Amino acid sequence: MRIAFAGNPNSGKTTMYNALTGRSEKVGNWGGVTVGSKEFKIKDEYTGGRDVSAVDLPGAYSMSPFTPEEGITSEYVRTTNPDVIVNIVDATNLSRSLFFTTQLLELGIPVVVALNKSDINEKEGTSIDVDKLSAKLGCNVFETTSTEGKGLSDVISKAISLSGSSQKPPFVQADIDLKDKAAVDAEDRKRYVFVNEIVAAVESRRTLSSETRGTDKLDAVLTNPISGILLFAAVMWFVFWTSQTWLGPMVADLIVGWIEQFQEWTAGLLENSPPILSALLADGIVGGVGAVVGFLPLVMVMYFLIALLEDCGYMARVSAVMDPIFKRVGLSGKSLIPVVIGTGCGIPAIMACRTIRDERERRATSMLATFIPCGAKIPVIALFAGAFFSGAGWVSTLSYFFGLLLIFLGALLIKYITGYRYRKSFFIIELPKWKVPSQKFAFNSMLERAKEYIIKAATIILICNTAVQVMQSFDWHFNVVEEGAESSSILATIASPFAILLIPLGFGVWQLAAAAITGFIAKENVVGTLAVVYGLTAFIDVEELELTGGANNVAMAMGLTSVTALAYLFFNLYTPPCFAAIGAMNSEMKSRAWLWGAIGLQLGTGYSVAFLIYQFGTLFTEGHLGRAFIPGLIAVGCMAVAVIVIGRKTRAHFDDMYELHRRDGKENAAA
Amino acid sequence: MALINAETGKTYKVKEINTRDEEMNSFLFRLGCYAGEPITLISKKKKSCIVAIKDGRYNLDELLSEAIQVC
Repeated sequence: MRIAFAGNPNSGKTTMYNALTGRSEKVGNWGGVTVGSKEFKIKDEYTGGRDVSAVDLPGAYSMSPFTPEEGITSEYVRTTNPDVIVNIVDATNLSRSLFFTTQLLELGIPVVVALNKSDINEKEGTSIDVDKLSAKLGCNVFETTSTEGKGLSDVISKAISLSGSSQKPPFVQADIDLKDKAAVDAEDRKRYVFVNEIVAAVESRRTLSSETRGTDKLDAVLTNPISGILLFAAVMWFVFWTSQTWLGPMVADLIVGWIEQFQEWTAGLLENSPPILSALLADGIVGGVGAVVGFLPLVMVMYFLIALLEDCGYMARVSAVMDPIFKRVGLSGKSLIPVVIGTGCGIPAIMACRTIRDERERRATSMLATFIPCGAKIPVIALFAGAFFSGAGWVSTLSYFFGLLLIFLGALLIKYITGYRYRKSFFIIELPKWKVPSQKFAFNSMLERAKEYIIKAATIILICNTAVQVMQSFDWHFNVVEEGAESSSILATIASPFAILLIPLGFGVWQLAAAAITGFIAKENVVGTLAVVYGLTAFIDVEELELTGGANNVAMAMGLTSVTALAYLFFNLYTPPCFAAIGAMNSEMKSRAWLWGAIGLQLGTGYSVAFLIYQFGTLFTEGHLGRAFIPGLIAVGCMAVAVIVIGRKTRAHFDDMYELHRRDGKENAAA
Repeated sequence: MALINAETGKTYKVKEINTRDEEMNSFLFRLGCYAGEPITLISKKKKSCIVAIKDGRYNLDELLSEAIQVC
């Protein structure tokens, strides 16, 4: 048996779904967090052991979709025929929610209404006569508070008992021609009149929503173009600084100590085994995976803080304040949400683009969102900040803000290529009520992500590290590589051709090329592979770095200057994220041309940024250009030419389209 | 007059909505923003404003707030 959860955006569907199923799907205090449907079995304590599954759906204001994610809901409800629908109604906005409720009641599927957020109504002195509402709608209504799990068992047991039954809809759309817009509009108006009558009869409010509240002043400051943007920058800086410079590394130091002990312990166990085995296990697996896990605290602190931000209601305000700027480069204020989610992981960020209505804006956002460094890139940033810039906090902050800058520049480039014309792009976003962020929720969300991170380290990263270690230890004849002949290893011979391409960027050695390549599988691999190929561990052991003072062993082993290190870091940050993210882009863009455009743009950006930093950085610090400036310039020049050619082509096509319209117009006029 | 020119803190009646975008019009309708319904201007800036429609708060951009006529 299947129960579908439908309701307005941000009414608490996913929170209820999580409480019922024990899952931890993403929730947040803004409309449009859930962008796809999810199904899972409801816990036995609610169903009495029966096999009942809950289906969480994206929020929708009505059965006629406006954005792509709204369409998922109406299509699901119409075509898959769930046994029962639980309609989650935001009790603080009954007057808007019941429009959708009356539509759901017409479908012939039994509906139970969950009057959610009842706790907020209680606090605000709004009361709803549940019995009267139930009588007027002709269906069961229960007051719930999903965040505390209140009322959920009533809803579910009622829903189960209703399966197979049906109810009499309180409002039935007249038999009209659905293609006749005026008739449909008139019916919808009648529906709203009906809803307004119900609300007037059942709801009493102590304060009207139109009255100014204390939080309106806060909203005015946060959505002000100057103070709002400065505050956003300050908040993000605080998040990055706390997670990557202050609190995160503090915790990481502890963990690194344990990993080292573990590594020594395994090395001790392997003392009498063949050296190749001990190298593989102690250095390769424990060392490589350990290097990645050592950065986990940084990632966890970051996830915790972002979860707090997502839970309080700030995201909608930032979207609103960023809209005018994003619009100028051809994106939308809603593009901001994928960017913030992207600090955690690029895949949900790309999926979050579904809430953007305009196709071009949506594709452009999903193509650019991953320029913001994700959680998997944190270890890479922290490694380079620690090894080459003595742990300076500006490296991580710069990485993020530079990513944001690349998003703007990339958006301008896409605008240029696609021949974007001035088009009306409306922006409207609901500003949800502020709430005190739940620390418990943030903590759980952090643990959930930490679990994913560890699982990834123990699977993909482990396999890659082992493969790298093996490929480095053997040559093509499966003989163990002798010391001093490392370049004859399988890994070296595979990576060397790629390394040639990287010479103009200042890091044309096979070790670094190999790390960058494994990074496309998962970005943490960059750290793991570097640990393996250079035989290094404990990258962020700050104390040790201080002992060796600046010119520490990590930097020495890699043989990079600060300029080349920064170029290499940025190359890894701004090239395509990972195969999984590319897969997500593919399914969201639904266009081969856009997908290849995205990959090309990201490769080109990473290459050009690294090239410019290396060449001009070297010029600045050493007074001469770096190696292979001319070949690099030619490569970057070719990319620029490609952009111009593709742009010309698409825009010529675009003009043709316009011309066709005009010609049509003329012909019509002549006719 | 256009919503953008209205007075902050006052409740108006929507007179006409013309975004020249059918889907946008009907989206606004579903939020409860259509001719005859009340709308309150909570605060405004040069390029955007915050309004109360039914029991929700929304941030609208310049284009939308110009397309909504109130009286």
